[in-house]
Amino acid sequence: MNVALTDIHRSFGKNRAVDGVDLQLGTGVFGLLGPNGAGKTSMLRMLATVLPPTSGEIRLLERDPRRPAARREIRRRLGYLPQNLGYYPSFTVVEFIEYFALLKEIPSPQVPKAVAVAMERVDLGAKARAKLRTLSGGMLRRVGIAQAIVNDPDLLLLDEPTAGLDPEQRVQFRALMRSLGESVTVIVSTHLVEDVGAACSEVALMSAGKIVFRGTPEELTARGEGHSVGDAPLERGYSAVLAAARS
Amino acid sequence: MIFPNESGRLPSPGDSVGGVDLDRVWTGVAAEVWRRHPGRLERTAARLLRSPGLARALVTTPSLLLPWLISTVVVFAVGALVSLGPGQSLVWLIAPAVAAVGIAFAYGPGIDPAWELSSSCAVPDRMVLLTRVVAVFALDAVLGLLASVASGAAAALTFGWLLPMTAVSTLALAAAVAARSATVGAAAGLAAWVITVLAGRTASGQLTASVTSADAYLPYLAVAACCTAAAIYAARPERGLQ
Repeated sequence: MNVALTDIHRSFGKNRAVDGVDLQLGTGVFGLLGPNGAGKTSMLRMLATVLPPTSGEIRLLERDPRRPAARREIRRRLGYLPQNLGYYPSFTVVEFIEYFALLKEIPSPQVPKAVAVAMERVDLGAKARAKLRTLSGGMLRRVGIAQAIVNDPDLLLLDEPTAGLDPEQRVQFRALMRSLGESVTVIVSTHLVEDVGAACSEVALMSAGKIVFRGTPEELTARGEGHSVGDAPLERGYSAVLAAARS
Repeated sequence: MIFPNESGRLPSPGDSVGGVDLDRVWTGVAAEVWRRHPGRLERTAARLLRSPGLARALVTTPSLLLPWLISTVVVFAVGALVSLGPGQSLVWLIAPAVAAVGIAFAYGPGIDPAWELSSSCAVPDRMVLLTRVVAVFALDAVLGLLASVASGAAAALTFGWLLPMTAVSTLALAAAVAARSATVGAAAGLAAWVITVLAGRTASGQLTASVTSADAYLPYLAVAACCTAAAIYAARPERGLQ
């Protein structure tokens, strides 16, 4: 198992962002759905080892991230796209991706090729020398995805990866996720149900810090039969599960 | 030269021509064209710090403009404070910590837009911050040296504050790299500074005042706590890298 969570809790003051989550994941594309404030981003930040849980046990890539040496090894094999990608406006696309490749401790001789491969995968070659301050929101999102995959990660965490992408780019990105998911664990947090339906082999739905549904997109769709809220079958399933969790 | 294939279409990445994987060729060419060749300073820093990532953080520190400006203002403000109270042990002892905290804030979660991303990387974020501290002090010292040509006050600030702080932060980074722990490095730098200040007081016959002054108790306790924590951390059986 690349991800094993046991009774994870995370609180911010009195607010319980994540409230008793158990999860085991192997390879594949795993979608994390839920409304705003459900706890998806806190979950991903804990999986990215930037936020420790208040209680519970996390094991990533068969290691315990509480131990510094293990955490460092996990981070070498981790790709992370935060919800709000901060960037350095004066850096070029190549400089930014290369900087994070070096911070991920990719051996120096391998860095230029790793950067080129990552940029090609997200179709950023034409903007290689462009300053980040000159790029559109969609381009910046692709830069974020490129830095996340530059180290060829075994665990890839993507928080709202398709935000800002145009429809054509989203289709391409879903294909990239499916291709990556054949060999590694990809966890995608999103509130876009169509992303999950098109790319994910499994999905969990979070509400108020808890996982209230886990199954395949088809199983989520089946939950929506007879439910009226939502335009697409998967959306109806999403709404039906949320409504049941809240009642 | 790229030739059309049998169907008259130009080959595209993904095609195989004469057994040659064009994707692979293109990626190799792109990697060479796009790569950023590190300068001599960065290559030397990478060897000394045993980390190309830290070396890149070192040389790119001034290019992050807002954190750089805030850090420089903090460093010069603390330097001015030190100049105003040269006889105060407390001011001398806590000044480096105040300046370092200011720099860490500017380049840390306070202002750095990519902090969360950096925190998820293998190179420990505290080591990156320590590297930033060295870069800020070193470049400010260079600026101070240039200003010293024209101003006596600038010379006093440079030789009394910026250069010693560059030395102390460099020592801290060296210790951190050697011990593979930013905490150990910070403790070593702070300890070196305390010894320097107390030695100066001894030379001027003010040691008793430095030790018995109630003002000095807090920094002494803080230094002792830091050293103790660093010692415990460094002595753990499975010492990590954070």
